[in-house]
Amino acid sequence: MFKSIFLAAGILLMACFTPALADDVNPQVRFDEANALYRQSKFTEAATIYQQLIDAGYTSRHLYLNAGNAWYKAGKTGQAVYSYEKALQLSPEDAAIKHNLSVANQKVNGYVGDLPLVFFQRWWLQLQHLHTSNGWAVGAVVFIWILMASLLINTQIPGLRNKYLQWGSYLFGVLFLVYLLMAIDTYNIANNHNNGIVMAGSIKVKAAPDDTSKELFELHEGMKVKLVDTTSEYCKVELNDGKNGWVSCAAIKRL
Amino acid sequence: MMVRFSMRKCLFSLLFLVGLVNCAFAQEFRFTTTVSSNPVALDEPFQIQFMIENGVNVTSFNPPDFKDFDVLQGPSQSMGQSIMNGRRSEYIALIYVIQAKRVGNFTIPGAQARVNGNVVKSNPVLIEVRKGAGASQQQAPQQPSAGGYAPRGGRDESVDGVLRKGENINEKLRKNIFVKVEVDKTNLYEGDQLTATYKLYTRLPTNSSVTKVPAFKGFSAKDIELPNPPQASEEMVNGQLFKVFTIRKTLLFPLQSGTLELEPVEVDNQVRLVKVVQNKRRARDPFEDFFNDPAFRDPFFDDFFNRPDVEYEDVPYKTQCNPVKITVKPLPAEGRPASFNGAVGRFNMTAEVNKNKLSTDEALTLKVTISGQGNVNLLNTPKVDVTSGFEAYDPKVSDNIEKNSNPLSGSRTFEFVLMPTEAGEHVIPPVEFSYFDPSANAYKTIKSAAFPINITQGKKVKSEKQDYSVGRNELVGIETGIMPWVKKHTWFVTSIWFYVLLLIPVLVYAGAVFYKRRQDYNTTNASVLKHRYANKVALKRLELAARYLKEGKDKAFYEETSRAVWGYLSHKLKIPFADLSKQLIQEKLAARSINGSNTAELFDLIDNCEVALYAPGQDNRRMQGTYEKAVSIITNLEDALKN
Repeated sequence: MFKSIFLAAGILLMACFTPALADDVNPQVRFDEANALYRQSKFTEAATIYQQLIDAGYTSRHLYLNAGNAWYKAGKTGQAVYSYEKALQLSPEDAAIKHNLSVANQKVNGYVGDLPLVFFQRWWLQLQHLHTSNGWAVGAVVFIWILMASLLINTQIPGLRNKYLQWGSYLFGVLFLVYLLMAIDTYNIANNHNNGIVMAGSIKVKAAPDDTSKELFELHEGMKVKLVDTTSEYCKVELNDGKNGWVSCAAIKRL
Repeated sequence: MMVRFSMRKCLFSLLFLVGLVNCAFAQEFRFTTTVSSNPVALDEPFQIQFMIENGVNVTSFNPPDFKDFDVLQGPSQSMGQSIMNGRRSEYIALIYVIQAKRVGNFTIPGAQARVNGNVVKSNPVLIEVRKGAGASQQQAPQQPSAGGYAPRGGRDESVDGVLRKGENINEKLRKNIFVKVEVDKTNLYEGDQLTATYKLYTRLPTNSSVTKVPAFKGFSAKDIELPNPPQASEEMVNGQLFKVFTIRKTLLFPLQSGTLELEPVEVDNQVRLVKVVQNKRRARDPFEDFFNDPAFRDPFFDDFFNRPDVEYEDVPYKTQCNPVKITVKPLPAEGRPASFNGAVGRFNMTAEVNKNKLSTDEALTLKVTISGQGNVNLLNTPKVDVTSGFEAYDPKVSDNIEKNSNPLSGSRTFEFVLMPTEAGEHVIPPVEFSYFDPSANAYKTIKSAAFPINITQGKKVKSEKQDYSVGRNELVGIETGIMPWVKKHTWFVTSIWFYVLLLIPVLVYAGAVFYKRRQDYNTTNASVLKHRYANKVALKRLELAARYLKEGKDKAFYEETSRAVWGYLSHKLKIPFADLSKQLIQEKLAARSINGSNTAELFDLIDNCEVALYAPGQDNRRMQGTYEKAVSIITNLEDALKN
């Protein structure tokens, strides 16, 4: 009986994942075209195509990595950093992306560097990328079914009641909670737009969200900032070193 | 120049002198009388000097009779020699400091000396003695800066170095030495050029050093090199001729608007003043002036140096100029081009690239030269908007500023090295340079042409060779191949199915639990009621049994009693009727710790009933006992089971 329920769940999931493949041009063709342009050192054109694919809604770390490379070579550091950061969101442990991002950050004027993570943060991050967000969600569903089944057996059928089953149900309960938490957390992280990359060549950071206020410091293209607060026109940004101020939101692209 | 005096104590023995002069060559012999000033004031001491030049074998010297004068000091003797034009000359001078006793014209007869055996006489002098101090002042203004007094090595000697009686030193110094700052304008634009000249004016011999130089706060300063040693010029100030030394000449470019102050320069002077001593006979050490140049036959010199009693005094005097206020206007905001970055003056700009066609392996140099007059030394890098396709490095800046030019002129060259990163046709946009022309009071913009650059793809050999840290600064290449083309994936977490699937087992479990609870409740509820009414039921049965007892139906009586007891136990101990057995009851009662006597009586009663049922013929009295026993046991059990 439970098997059939899982099967049903699986089918439902498949239905959710089925991509809507209805693009006018085959993305693979466009992608290969861009790669060819890249090899001919026509980086701006290549980057434009990659960007079109991204804008069309395709997300893949390869696409972002290639776009980052093309933007970098075309001299658009801000775009490059943005693409790499996006790729890193998709696969945070990828050495190639990390390397390219660090290369691009060398070009960023005033780059402060990310704060290193504490060991448990690192573990949490590694654990998080054991599954995709959807994987965690499916796991949570699976575990709650198993948990409920074991509880039912344990409480309702006196003949099958035993200690192992009880411990098993505790284990499944914990697993369910972990998977649920992870599913929610990964979703939150992926949909967290509280970070942004400076896209304008250099922008002045002001003390207050208006044009006339005092200029505090300058931000350069490619700088990663944390968005703390926003008004309609101005965003309050904070740097890794704690400096903060208001900049025009138009100059910042949210990750 | 300070004349070097070799000071000797006076009163050499004449004999010694004779020996000394013996060895001299015979030169033209002269014996003269000079006075330091003529006419003299009544109370003014003056010198009278008798000089024997080239005198050989001087054996005696007789001074004249100073009958109308008091000898204040003397005779003091000085001697010396000099070589001029290869000829050596010697002299011996005897100096008296005397003062007139009365007003009038007096003749001092010449002195007599015996030279080389001959008696020689010096010339007599007519001295006019006037009344009061007025006479002495007469000379002061007419003293020109005579030749031979040219300043040397920063030391300035002037002509008015005599401190006369009754003159206040400070007053004199203040009048005759001062520092002045001259600026060519006091109201100008930010970044415009201003020339400040600090000058030392002096009429006194002084050894000056600049102790405090202005810092020029708020300005960018560029000093003009001054000749070393400083050259004096002459200038008339208030009808008096001053020697002027330029201490510092600086080109200033104000860096901020507002009222700026040129700080004063401070000069420390050691002014050498000749002081005329008033007192009578000073101790026995008046310094002898030793003129080692007998060519000073000029009456002026005699007059100047052969004062009756003079003393040199180095007076320290600190002087500083007044600070000058400069009003700096901010550059006009309207009409300011975007490319303006602080250049003020008149400029010209040229921009050129060294090639138009290159491969990605080569580098391109964009050379921007800005030349002209103005703040060339402060020119900022013009913004070169390097489009995509090039990697721009910080420019190499080289200056070519004309030395000591005023206004500052020259050129500054910015060399941008551009590394093409992308093949294709690229255009470097025009280089734009703006400056503010203060004379025209307007901004001006110069724009170069755009540079079309054709870049072909190179072999990338060069860059790899140059890059010593390959892998550190090189990107990891692009990914190719077939990609899983997945559009932005949906979030299972947010879909309704996730929650439905989560809820289903929970609901199933909850349903199951609820069902069981309900069943349990029902069963427990029934037994609770039974338990509660067990006593009543039992007593009702016993009532029935009592009726049977009265009627004498013994079988029915025992049946009913037995049923009452069993029923009671069944309800009270929640044992199904079918399961009832003596043993189970015993266990149950033991579990509820009912004491032994109750149990034993209960079982006695049950046994009695059973025996009576199967062996009838019991008498009535016994039935009565059984009944009472049954009532008491149930009552006892009720009490015992209640707690």
